[in-house]
Amino acid sequence: MFLSNLVQKAQQYIDPAVLPASLVTATTTKPSKSVLFQQQFHLPSNQNPLYEITAELTLPTRKASSSKSPSSKQQQRWGPNDWDKGADGKGTHYVGQLHLSEQYLCFSTVNSSFVSTASTSASSAFTGRTHGTGTAGNGFTLPLCAVRRVERLHTQSYMFALSITTWNGFDPGTDTKPGAPAPPKLTIQLEGSRQQCERFCDGLKRGLRQGIREVENMRAVAAECYSEYFMYSDFDGPSPTTKADGVTPRHLPDTGLGSIFKYPGNSRKLRDRSKMRLWHEYMRENGRNTTLVRQPDFHRLIRVGLPNLLRGEMWELTSGSLYLRLQKPKLYGETLKKHEGEESLAIDEIEKDLNRSLPEYAGFQSEDGIGRLRRVLTAYSWTNVDVGYCQAMNIVVAALLIYLSETQAFYVLSILCDRLLPGYYSTTMYGTLLDQKVFESLVEKTMPVLWEHLSGNDVQLSVVSLPWFLSLYINSMPLIFAFRVLDVFFLEGPKVLFQVGLAILRVNGEELLDATDDGAFISVLKSYFARLGESAHPKSENPKHRAITNFQALMVVAFKEFDGITQHTISEQRSKHKAAVLENIESFAKRTSIRNLGPESKKLSTNDLGFLYDRFYTILYERQQRAQVLQADEDRKRKASRQRATEIVTGVHGNGAPEMGRVGLGPSTTEMDYDAFREFLAGVAKWAVTDSPSSPTSANDPSAHKSANGYFHTLRAKPSQPSSPWGIGPEPAEHEFLRRLFKRWDKEVKSSLTLQDVVAGLAPIKGGRDIMGNISYFFELYDNDNDGKVDREGILRMSEALLFLSRRGVEGGGLLSPSPSSASISEHEEGKRRETKDEQFLSAVSSFIRRCFEYADPDHASRKAEMEANGVAQQVDLLGLSNGDESAGSDQLAASSSSTGDVKDDSVLSRPSTNAFGQVQTKARHVAANAALDPSSPVHITLPTFRMLVLADEPLESFFDSGFANSFHLADAPLPSSTITSPTFLGGSSSTASLPNIPDIPAMSPGGSSGVVGGAGAGVVPPGKGLRGMLDNIVTDGMRVAAEVRRRMDEAQKELDKGASTRGTEDDDDDDGDEGGRDLLEGAEADAGEGRRGTGVSREPSLLDQPLVEEPKQGSSKEEVEKSTMFER
Amino acid sequence: MTDSTASAPKPSSSVKLVLLGEAAVGKSSLVLRFVNNDFQPNKEPTIGAAFLTQKCQLPSRTIKFEIWDTAGQERFASLAPMYYRNAQSALVVYDMTKPSSLVKAKHWVAELQRQASPGIVIALVGNKLDLCDDDDPEDEAQDGENAEGHEEEAVRKVSTAEAKAYAEEESLLFYETSAKTGHNVSEVFTAIANAIPETSLKGPRTGAGGGTQAAISGGQDTSRVNLNARGADGAAKEGCAC
Ligand SMILES: Nc1nc2c(ncn2[C@@H]2O[C@H](COP(=O)(O)OP(=O)(O)O)[C@@H](O)[C@H]2O)c(=O)[nH]1
Ligand SMILES: [Mg+2]
Repeated sequence: MFLSNLVQKAQQYIDPAVLPASLVTATTTKPSKSVLFQQQFHLPSNQNPLYEITAELTLPTRKASSSKSPSSKQQQRWGPNDWDKGADGKGTHYVGQLHLSEQYLCFSTVNSSFVSTASTSASSAFTGRTHGTGTAGNGFTLPLCAVRRVERLHTQSYMFALSITTWNGFDPGTDTKPGAPAPPKLTIQLEGSRQQCERFCDGLKRGLRQGIREVENMRAVAAECYSEYFMYSDFDGPSPTTKADGVTPRHLPDTGLGSIFKYPGNSRKLRDRSKMRLWHEYMRENGRNTTLVRQPDFHRLIRVGLPNLLRGEMWELTSGSLYLRLQKPKLYGETLKKHEGEESLAIDEIEKDLNRSLPEYAGFQSEDGIGRLRRVLTAYSWTNVDVGYCQAMNIVVAALLIYLSETQAFYVLSILCDRLLPGYYSTTMYGTLLDQKVFESLVEKTMPVLWEHLSGNDVQLSVVSLPWFLSLYINSMPLIFAFRVLDVFFLEGPKVLFQVGLAILRVNGEELLDATDDGAFISVLKSYFARLGESAHPKSENPKHRAITNFQALMVVAFKEFDGITQHTISEQRSKHKAAVLENIESFAKRTSIRNLGPESKKLSTNDLGFLYDRFYTILYERQQRAQVLQADEDRKRKASRQRATEIVTGVHGNGAPEMGRVGLGPSTTEMDYDAFREFLAGVAKWAVTDSPSSPTSANDPSAHKSANGYFHTLRAKPSQPSSPWGIGPEPAEHEFLRRLFKRWDKEVKSSLTLQDVVAGLAPIKGGRDIMGNISYFFELYDNDNDGKVDREGILRMSEALLFLSRRGVEGGGLLSPSPSSASISEHEEGKRRETKDEQFLSAVSSFIRRCFEYADPDHASRKAEMEANGVAQQVDLLGLSNGDESAGSDQLAASSSSTGDVKDDSVLSRPSTNAFGQVQTKARHVAANAALDPSSPVHITLPTFRMLVLADEPLESFFDSGFANSFHLADAPLPSSTITSPTFLGGSSSTASLPNIPDIPAMSPGGSSGVVGGAGAGVVPPGKGLRGMLDNIVTDGMRVAAEVRRRMDEAQKELDKGASTRGTEDDDDDDGDEGGRDLLEGAEADAGEGRRGTGVSREPSLLDQPLVEEPKQGSSKEEVEKSTMFER
Repeated sequence: MTDSTASAPKPSSSVKLVLLGEAAVGKSSLVLRFVNNDFQPNKEPTIGAAFLTQKCQLPSRTIKFEIWDTAGQERFASLAPMYYRNAQSALVVYDMTKPSSLVKAKHWVAELQRQASPGIVIALVGNKLDLCDDDDPEDEAQDGENAEGHEEEAVRKVSTAEAKAYAEEESLLFYETSAKTGHNVSEVFTAIANAIPETSLKGPRTGAGGGTQAAISGGQDTSRVNLNARGADGAAKEGCAC
């Protein structure tokens, strides 16, 4: 859909060389080295690869004397002296890469490099075949806080060798109280230049010192691992709890509901005890939990299925959730506490599913089990509100809770949702859909005959396979087998789900080829799942063959035959299908959303709704992208001091928040704040674009940066002003009218708008085409207290808003209503007509004010004191202000009304308005006698009065009839500039520049412009800019208009000076181009001067600002840039 | 394979039917009522969609419904296209006591009309008739415990006239049902069966390229059961009460 096009196009146009590095990475799809590193070692996202070096790990083998002999069990205690020294050449050797991050020392035989000089593909080598070792290979992932001592070994060789003693935080025991065996020493020989080695060691030392602070933490975390308890006793000895030796039994860690309600399956048949014995041995030799070293036996022991009591711990360890728990050990408890008693949609949804999560397991028929499930799901929904709760999570968590404590389950769930199953449970479930596509394409590749058969019979594979993935086979296979899939899944990653899925189809291939509809297909698989525990070769003579179960056979097929399915395959396929999947979701979401916009939306065409939908979400998406880029830049700067920038810049992507806001990914926000609203309006209405952009030109305009280094420097100088950027669209104006509109649309007063709010807000204006409706709509905007009256202040603000809205011309009368974009520059006729219309409008507004006061009703004089300000002066100022400055702002209005002195002359007001033909449209009236103008008597107008005034005036009537509605450009007549949001313009001809026929502005200060108050919204008004904004695409006509504005203002001033009263017509000599030009310049200077003096409000230049005007001409950008920077300071 | 008349007295064909509608309007309950003639709290966790089958005997032929009951949670809506793809019929359900569910139902109707197979037979079903006081008293209350059925707050919020007018406008079948009492449930399915054009039954299902639709004779096909592995009773029972 268009959002993805947009991203693609943006990528085409962005020259990576000139943009902040973070912006580039934000749009690339390759994960950064940090992310790859975290993925390989299953580390939290705050770990970055700092140093790496090739190394050889030597692990001691146990001395023969202490070999496993059941007879010596009672006396066995393992200490450092029980090990052969590794360094003497005995023991097991592994060559691999040693990595150091902030808090971890990692070693892996799977050779991959994350140094800055390595290519990303070298870093991702581990995604290839891992031969059952998982991504981390053989080696270790050691938290630095678990290191007790590091010694430099002075061996016979000149080599640089370290001996690392690990420590779980528990004493190894005393003579009276047996302790756990000490984990082995690790001997590591570094292979690199002396300098490299020294550097690595320095880094290690620093990290170790930092690590001291974490030791307490680690003790607490490790204490919840069953192995801590398990290893304190000899395996065949009595269990420590039952020991009656007077020693307080060690704390027995929570090993899940299974310890209370039984673990599923027959533990004798699962040979649980033998497995425990093997693990006991393994951990005695290789350490436990945080200090565990992975050797080939580790992976084998996992493949045969984990024993009940260690299953949870090994899941924690292999998934890396243990490291997350180590990082934030209190997160679970604190989250629950913080949100205690709160309610949410997620909680409601969780509640509904609690009783249907593995209901057949006894633990979930109890309050205990249900309570744990509720708490884990709830806590996660609070830590990730974007995901909240998704059905299927209940089943997964229920399964986890059989083996894990609720705290542990919480962290495993986090790892699942955030890393292992990205996007599976998001609000659009795009990860689920994407992986189904990937799975289908793998089936097509590996089993073309079956695939043919399926598509020939119109059976959609994913309806069958989706639950496999979404609930990790837990709901499809009998539990004991699903858990064995999980064992491998946590170790080796998501590819396991695919391998098992493919194997299921392969094993059942024959029967599936007979199935010709969904029903048959499903029943073949269902009956297969029911037979997983049965012999795969029941008729075999060989008892060994007979003993092989269907499940074992399945695992063999999955990991032997589909060995070639690696994490790399999956990533590749995912990126191949991602765009299409997101597009489907987005078009579905769009259809859904548009149909659910409420009754008001019926007033707008489907096209318009689609247009609004696109704009709404594009703005939200872009704003989030920008915020992220800025954030990343900040982060980069902060880190840059500590590390080499190149290592870090790529860290943006994938650090938990890859692309946000895109609808297909499950938008992280669906509401628009006031600034987003302004940006939104700037794309649909010309009047909502500022006249004084804070940033001189587009950052992405190649001609701009090539020709104007000066400009680009300013950009670089302020790359991360947090409040600045408006993206590539036009910078929005700030005006009181916008605030009022926002408030009106914000029905629920939550300071943000949903798409439905926007549609409901626009529908009465655009949809009704009802002049009466529009008049009252406008009136109500200014009726602050809804009493049907608008007071003096309101009248002035209304008039001022009318000028604001019309400052770029009034659009298409109801009759022609030409598409404004087609009313193109070439059409002089149209231009002429417009010009006169704009003038008419100006006069109409001025007479509107006058008549408002003529017809105003007096309030019951009660608030005299408050109305001390001089009403007439206000009006005079108002005209000067608004006519002279296209972006007149309310602040200035207010300021001027109090600052202007005692000029009391209504002559301006009594000037008659004229139409294009010079006719006097209304009689001149003297208003001097009008009591309403007496500032001491408060007045108001009512809706009927307002209506009458509007209807009595043709330009105003036409404005409310069609002009106002037409000023919002939706699908049928998009603003040419609204496409600015599309990065096509990045390369753009649109360059702002291009107004060659604007003469240079002489830097002279005009005399008689004291009545002019500086530009609203932004004090600094670069004249060229303001004009360009105003002129839109008809340069010359616009200039005339501006000239006219200026001239009138001057005249008003003169008349004020003279104290003269009414005059006749004088506004119709405006087709004198030269004169117009001169006046224009004066006016412009006046603006600039005033602006500088006036407010001092100036905004930071935006990173990617793109001015509104879209002129096809090129080449004058340089001039433009120079000019802009003049006003930059 | 296409010739089914040899083995069965009446021609028999499968019809794919998908249930759509807001969460908790009673989709699963309707299916359960239709398939098992039962009403009970849903104990089955539905991941994606549940698959069930049920036969429907018409005077001239037997229709075997292959029913996809889509999951309740809002976010699963993104998956719906997967299930309504190739469906020949759809039950779009709303809850008569909840006006927002009719809005959602209208959305699904529009979605199906635009995105699903052309010619799909859609029935609009207002469920939970038993909660509406104004319905005909002759509703056979099959369950003895009817106590919580008539809560004061749960009254009809969507009038028959309104829904009916909409259904007519969009040429939908329209029924008001109660999964709880069973009122009108089988009627809905019978009406759908009758409305499926003969032509779409003969050949392979819509859009299928090569394969043919195996016609299955009535009564023997008991293996078609719920997608979920455990805890499900065999879903295919005797032909429905039509
Ligand atoms: N009173 C009443 N309750 C119903 C009826 N149908 C369903 N329910 C209840 O409505 C709730 C949601 O039903 P369910 O079938 O799960 O809805 P689904 O989400 O659309 O599948 C359950 O508590 C049902 O017991 C009905 O006809 N009458
Ligand atoms: Mg349901």
